Amino acid sequence: MDLRRFGFILLIIIVLFGLVVFIGQVKSPPIVIITSMMATTIAVATPLTLGALAGVFCERAGVVNIGIEGMMLSSAFFGWLSAIYMFHVFGFPVGVSIWTGVLFAILSGMLMGLLLAVLSITYKVDQIIGGTVINILAVGLTGFLNRQLFFGRGSVFGGNVPNSPGVLPTLHVPVTEIFSPLCHSAECLQVVTSINKVFDQKPVAISAILLVFIAHYILFYTRWGLRARAVGEHPKAADTVGINVFKMRYASVIIGGGLAGLAGAYFTIESVPSFEPLLTNGRGFISLAAMIFGNWTPIGAWTAALVFGASQALNINMQLFRDVIPPQLAILQQSYVVGLIPYILTMIILTGIIGRTTPPAADGVPYEK
Amino acid sequence: MKKLYTLLAVLLVAALLLPACAPAEADCSSEDVFCVGLVTDVGKINDKSFNQSAWEGVQRAEKELGAKIQYIETADSKDYDKNIATFADENYDVIVTVGFGMGEATVKAAGLYPNVKFIGVDQFQAAETPGVVGLNFPEDNAGFLVGALAAMMSKSHKIGAVCGTDVVPPVWRFGEGYKAGAAYADGMMGTTTEVFVVYHSDVGFDKTFTDPEWGAATAKSMMDQGADAIFGCGGITGNGAITAAAQAGAYAIGVDTDQYLTLPEAAPRMLSSAMKLITPGVFDLIKAAKEGNFPVGNYFGAAGYAPFHDLDSEVPANVKAEMEKINAGLLDGSIKTNVPPVKP
Amino acid sequence: MQADTSSDLPSKGFLRSALDAMLVPFLAILTAVVLGGIIIAVVRGNPFLAYYGLIQGSFGSAKALSETAVWATPYIFAGLAVALAFKGGLFNIGAEGQLALGATVSALIGYALPDWLGFDLPAIIHLPLTILVGVAGGAFWAAIVGFLKAYTGGHEVINTIMMNYIALNTISYLLNGPMKDRDPNNVIARTPLIAESARMPEIFEGLRVHWGFVLALLTAFVIWWLLNKTTLGFEIRMVGANPDAAKYAGINVKRTIIVTMTLSGLLAGMAGALEVTGLNFRHELGFSIGYGFDAIAIALLGKSHPLGVVLASILFAAMRNGATRMQFLTQLPVDLISVLQALILLFVAADAIIRYLYGIKTKGERVVLTRGWGG
Repeated sequence: MDLRRFGFILLIIIVLFGLVVFIGQVKSPPIVIITSMMATTIAVATPLTLGALAGVFCERAGVVNIGIEGMMLSSAFFGWLSAIYMFHVFGFPVGVSIWTGVLFAILSGMLMGLLLAVLSITYKVDQIIGGTVINILAVGLTGFLNRQLFFGRGSVFGGNVPNSPGVLPTLHVPVTEIFSPLCHSAECLQVVTSINKVFDQKPVAISAILLVFIAHYILFYTRWGLRARAVGEHPKAADTVGINVFKMRYASVIIGGGLAGLAGAYFTIESVPSFEPLLTNGRGFISLAAMIFGNWTPIGAWTAALVFGASQALNINMQLFRDVIPPQLAILQQSYVVGLIPYILTMIILTGIIGRTTPPAADGVPYEK
Repeated sequence: MKKLYTLLAVLLVAALLLPACAPAEADCSSEDVFCVGLVTDVGKINDKSFNQSAWEGVQRAEKELGAKIQYIETADSKDYDKNIATFADENYDVIVTVGFGMGEATVKAAGLYPNVKFIGVDQFQAAETPGVVGLNFPEDNAGFLVGALAAMMSKSHKIGAVCGTDVVPPVWRFGEGYKAGAAYADGMMGTTTEVFVVYHSDVGFDKTFTDPEWGAATAKSMMDQGADAIFGCGGITGNGAITAAAQAGAYAIGVDTDQYLTLPEAAPRMLSSAMKLITPGVFDLIKAAKEGNFPVGNYFGAAGYAPFHDLDSEVPANVKAEMEKINAGLLDGSIKTNVPPVKP
Repeated sequence: MQADTSSDLPSKGFLRSALDAMLVPFLAILTAVVLGGIIIAVVRGNPFLAYYGLIQGSFGSAKALSETAVWATPYIFAGLAVALAFKGGLFNIGAEGQLALGATVSALIGYALPDWLGFDLPAIIHLPLTILVGVAGGAFWAAIVGFLKAYTGGHEVINTIMMNYIALNTISYLLNGPMKDRDPNNVIARTPLIAESARMPEIFEGLRVHWGFVLALLTAFVIWWLLNKTTLGFEIRMVGANPDAAKYAGINVKRTIIVTMTLSGLLAGMAGALEVTGLNFRHELGFSIGYGFDAIAIALLGKSHPLGVVLASILFAAMRNGATRMQFLTQLPVDLISVLQALILLFVAADAIIRYLYGIKTKGERVVLTRGWGG
């Protein structure tokens, strides 16, 4: 990702944070606001990052994946469902059930990826249609099963949704424990404990960040990554040097599905322990935007996801500080108006003002031998 | 040949489909068959929130009154009329319509089907229509009670509420009642409590109630700012906030029903719930319809606060006493929430 | 509509070609129905009763037919919007936002114009004006995306998704604030009712089907004519098939992209304007968001052909409409309809599966509906 774009994104995030600190300082100390904003940003960005990474993998290999939303939704459901089954039906302990849930979420994401691969690579169905099929199928299937399994006459659990075994534990980073002895004032202590909140994250959120760098390494510094990109740029040329285009595309799309599956796990196994129909609420499409915003690079997509996270954090904080918003900024009280920010930013980015976005050359084109 | 066989098989299935058996069932037009139908607002019957509570009231009528019951889920607001008519045309005796959005369709249907009794949950009747009763709740009172409780229990003197959209009047009344309750408690205890109330504003009404992830993120944000009691008011979105609060060790406050019972994940930290007793309200009205003393206009159901359950020992005796006093004051009208029925 | 299908496959007779074109979708639907029946049976439902309810609820009475037409009207327009864009090589995911925006501005003109002018307008002026403004609103919203695509290369898929969110946020703001119905009994985010002079007359008394349905059928024909019999239509299809070749052939590709997108938005805006003037007489904050996405499925199912779109719209409308009766009889969840639709779409898209199942020979030419992100 080029530096100019990185600088632009950084600038946006700083402006968003600065705005909240400026308005909220009469109520809360800046360090509390900043760390709280950071925590919210990371939380909101986690599924978006994973979804965008899913997009990067598919599209770098030349398969447009518009079905990320459906992949997330179905894996959120099946991950949650398998955790419940493990816990209630097979009687496994909580920890085992939860982690099985994560595993199944990833697996069902991969399965959806496989479906997209079969449709778009083997049957050469238009890739956008393949994605649309996945989206509609996921809505119908999860809604239907959620009802039939848990509600009404003859349902599996006698009409009650059994409670899920729980959510993934927070991994505590002992920032407070290490640094608080060095503090001699209450302010310092507050800073340390506030910062600790940013570091205390759950497994999926942490792995999302790690995966950004792992994906970057794989795509740009390994033979496999080179091949995947070659397949997405010049499949003919790749074929002539002996790369199996179909195999590479299958692998990439299934990996992408797995990443979207992990994003699904975030919703029902890490964040809140329940499934609701349509709970992904369009986040798959936002992921897609983040991927393009970040110019089809893992790190770029991640920073874009952070922009979406930061604007969500701005929106929440503007409501918290609603009564201290100065009159000249009264527009910020309108959450619908604040809500527009990330979408408008995305469109500005797409106009190419700060560097053109260039998709992989063979993205969306079925390969015919 | 293969094509021929498969086509034949397919045609066979199609032929089976066509003369489908017309269902033979109990006839609602007969005097001795008491039929109750429920039409949900746009949303699912198993929403663990108001649609489901209303349906549980109808189910109670099946058990206790021997009613024949059925529901229809509305998928789009333009189907309101048709969904109500589906029951009315089958001569159902009572039709329960859930949600303020169906208010107009319900009144309209009452004009077309004068023999049917309509129960409109959360539908305030500005004018009386024969055959329609609006089942309403003083949500502001319930919000007031838990707001006062949260303010009295908070150690940081910062409390929060994470709600669905304020476009829905009952939700708004919960949120504003919460603020008013906290202010009342402050006046009594001489404290200053900061109240964060955040309403979810998404582009679809239904989405604002089904976004647990947003609810959790918002609750965390409030707790980062020091809040130590979170009221989740707004279906599934609120559930997300409640669960997040409980996980972080803050006080969690539920809504609508005693969520200690419906949200086991949050139960250990569940301080109370702002209750709006839809299930008994719906049942009582169905029973009234069967017994022939169906009211007209508005019927006010009960609202209150749920027991403290696991945290009972943490609540000081004076707080408990104050809560009872406030509840009594709200009931006899000596304490007023001053929350208008609709957002101005 | 005779020339319709035959123009696509000029070498065969009309009947033969129509049958050929419809065989695979028909078998796809049948297969999906059978599979759906198996799914219902697996969850201990009665598939026969379910399908009986679905058919009875959608075609079983005058009322049922009328409601199916009510559902089909926006579907046809939105489906045509997506299909037209497909023909021009563009993927318009934004029908949702264009439709909502069209409905909003249409409602505004419908209720506020007499106040602004200070006198009542005759219906002959007010009604067309209300529709036209709605149509223009949708067209404008899509034209922005077309312009960005033509001059900056910003991809229309992402831009239309963004424009959806922008439209829906803005409308939510307007309907909760400046445009909210100030009636003291109103608690809903919606506009006031539009003036009588902006409403479409009834076709049949007591039924909700309105002239919009007839207009939809006419529009489908017009779009077919535009695509197949005019220079503009040729240019749109040419750009859709191969923009590079189109450029060498002297077609102004940028202009064609903008025109295609504008026309597409125009159709979506029309869907919105007709919902306001023909059915609801106001715009209400959408509880469910879905026309835009259903429209994509409809355009795909109809193979982007106007006649196909009409048929697919009626199918989808019947399913959505009949779902009430199906639920009433079986208490099966409405989501079943989405499962069925996804299966139908799957089999239509991956027609190789259907061809294999029923042993039908593959045709030579493959219809390219969309292209990737490429600039």
